[in-house]
Amino acid sequence: MTLWIDVSCILVVFLALSVLATNRIVGMIKIFAVQSFILSFVPLFLHADAVSGRDITLSLVTMVLKAILVPAILFWQIRHISMRSEIKPLIGLGTSILFGAVLIAVAFWVSLSLRLPGKLLSSLVLPCSLATMLLGFMTMVTRTRAITQVLGYMVIENGIFLFALSLFDAMPVLIEMGILLDIFVAVLIMAIVLNHINEEFERTGGSAGRSKTGETV
Amino acid sequence: MLSLLILIPLLGALAMLLPVRAMFRVWFLCAVSFTYALIVASFWRQLPAAEWNGYLALDPLGLILLSVNGLLFLPVAVFMIGYFQHERRNNRIFTACLLFLMSMMTLVSASYHMGLLWVAIETTTLFSAPLISFHHNRGTLEATWRYLLVCSVGIALALMGTFFLAIAARDVHTLLLPAILNGASSLSVNWLKLSVIFLFVGYGCKMGLAPMHSWKPEAYGQATGMVVVLMAGGLTQCSFLALMRVSQICYKTGLSGFYASILLVTGVLSLVVPAVLLLGEKSIKRSFAYSSIEHMGILVLGLGLGGIGIFGALFHMINNSLAKVVMFLTAGSVAQKYGASHASLVRGVIHTYPVTGVFLLVSLFAGTGMFPFATFHSELLIINAAIISKQYVLSGLAILCLAVIFIGIAKVVLEFAYGQPTDPVLAKKENLFMNITIALAAMALLCLGVWMPAPLHRVLHDAVTLIGA
Repeated sequence: MTLWIDVSCILVVFLALSVLATNRIVGMIKIFAVQSFILSFVPLFLHADAVSGRDITLSLVTMVLKAILVPAILFWQIRHISMRSEIKPLIGLGTSILFGAVLIAVAFWVSLSLRLPGKLLSSLVLPCSLATMLLGFMTMVTRTRAITQVLGYMVIENGIFLFALSLFDAMPVLIEMGILLDIFVAVLIMAIVLNHINEEFERTGGSAGRSKTGETV
Repeated sequence: MLSLLILIPLLGALAMLLPVRAMFRVWFLCAVSFTYALIVASFWRQLPAAEWNGYLALDPLGLILLSVNGLLFLPVAVFMIGYFQHERRNNRIFTACLLFLMSMMTLVSASYHMGLLWVAIETTTLFSAPLISFHHNRGTLEATWRYLLVCSVGIALALMGTFFLAIAARDVHTLLLPAILNGASSLSVNWLKLSVIFLFVGYGCKMGLAPMHSWKPEAYGQATGMVVVLMAGGLTQCSFLALMRVSQICYKTGLSGFYASILLVTGVLSLVVPAVLLLGEKSIKRSFAYSSIEHMGILVLGLGLGGIGIFGALFHMINNSLAKVVMFLTAGSVAQKYGASHASLVRGVIHTYPVTGVFLLVSLFAGTGMFPFATFHSELLIINAAIISKQYVLSGLAILCLAVIFIGIAKVVLEFAYGQPTDPVLAKKENLFMNITIALAAMALLCLGVWMPAPLHRVLHDAVTLIGA
């Protein structure tokens, strides 16, 4: 089953890179949903010989929260036409991909020097999760729209989650659920706040989103 | 008892969602806060037993934070009685979030599992966000957004740090604090170092330490005074508890020196940055926000210096929360009277509202750590610790920064208090509830400044031995 974990890890990194290289918000959300969907199978691959109820629960909860509900919330958030429009990243898409490739290389290079104590199912888990995190950060930094920053944050969380799976026994399942739920509520509250911001801007007729403190939303 | 203390505010929060009158909610909040404070006070006689298989346990460190929570929520609840006499906005979500926050802050103080601690701290972030945007306008919403994003990303790093800790403690098989401390010799040092860095950056972000402070002036500048009291006095110190837990682990594994160097550098930076940024500041809430960064820096500095510095830092936790009550409730009451907190709109408060004007001066002295107030003593203890450990440059720099910060805050506050009076816009009268709250908090700070009760000394001492050094 190591093969399947390896495949999932590589796909997760690849999809994180695709999020970075997409400039349509709808596309980004869809890619994120696929990434979460793949991620939700990883708990099942971990103990392939004896899948326990705990693995199935974690897998199901991940799938429902991350692959269905979070994208649904994000789609709800961009239901206004104006939000669907193309976004202009701070640096071009080609450059983003190039930087992303460099980040992946960095992640692999860093994880060479990190020796995991004990045996690990797949040696790809650590570098891939680091790479996903870095790509998520990159998405957050280079995009100006608030919704894309949320997406970047979620990609970071997916990277962390991939890593968390490799040390399954240290975290009791309740805490894992707490973490998942927290992240879900975070996205929910972010979407609500964004919604309020949009309403406020439509009401006051603001366009650029630059306030008197000089900050952009 | 501990789970009861978590459940009471949680059930209260659900009750708040029922359709009742606004003032009823406020009185209910007062009742819950009062019960909460009573239960916490009973813990000073005897610490409650551990619950949930050791996941919840209260040690002196947690007790200090829990008492700080009690000390914050009670005055805020009483202050709200006055505040909502002039405020027509629906407070359903506001009060509910406040009680959720209370429940989660209790969970932070009592959690003995590093994963649970993370969950609790992240939840406090989420429930404090709607509080910041209580007044729906552009400024508050932008501030909320920034707070939510910066803190969420920071906390995500802390989650990564928690997982690294789990790897370091692979042989222990759990993240329960006593188990980690007992099995300290089996921890993998390299992974622990990595974990410490991530945990520090993550929780430091939530605490608003210097390089990660960008959300603080925005959020504190925009939110209502009462909310800022809870954030500056309570939430930031919840993250400080997490840093102290890391300190405990580092002490047991012999990484104290490594951790201390991180703490000292960040601590000094958190003194220098507000000193520089304060000088051009015109808004009272924003300048108090910079003062909050400074106080966090002092806490971290004390923790890094060790010995008497830790004692000072723990004492400062209590003093800081009381000082924040005085400072931000005064700022909030001024903001409610004038509808603004910028120096161009608010001047000569002492002529129009003598009591509030005096409170402004009190908050200047309490907040910057001037003599009779207890903040002076705790800051002195920490600088003392720096001198004892022969960190002369550091102590000199700290004193210089404190002096500059005093000048910066004094400039704003004095202009507020004594400038050419401007007309208040909204409320016309002083409010009794608001003023009594602020006066009591200032009195408490004054009393702690001249006399430290024996039980407090004992608990602080026990807490210092827990952190070690």
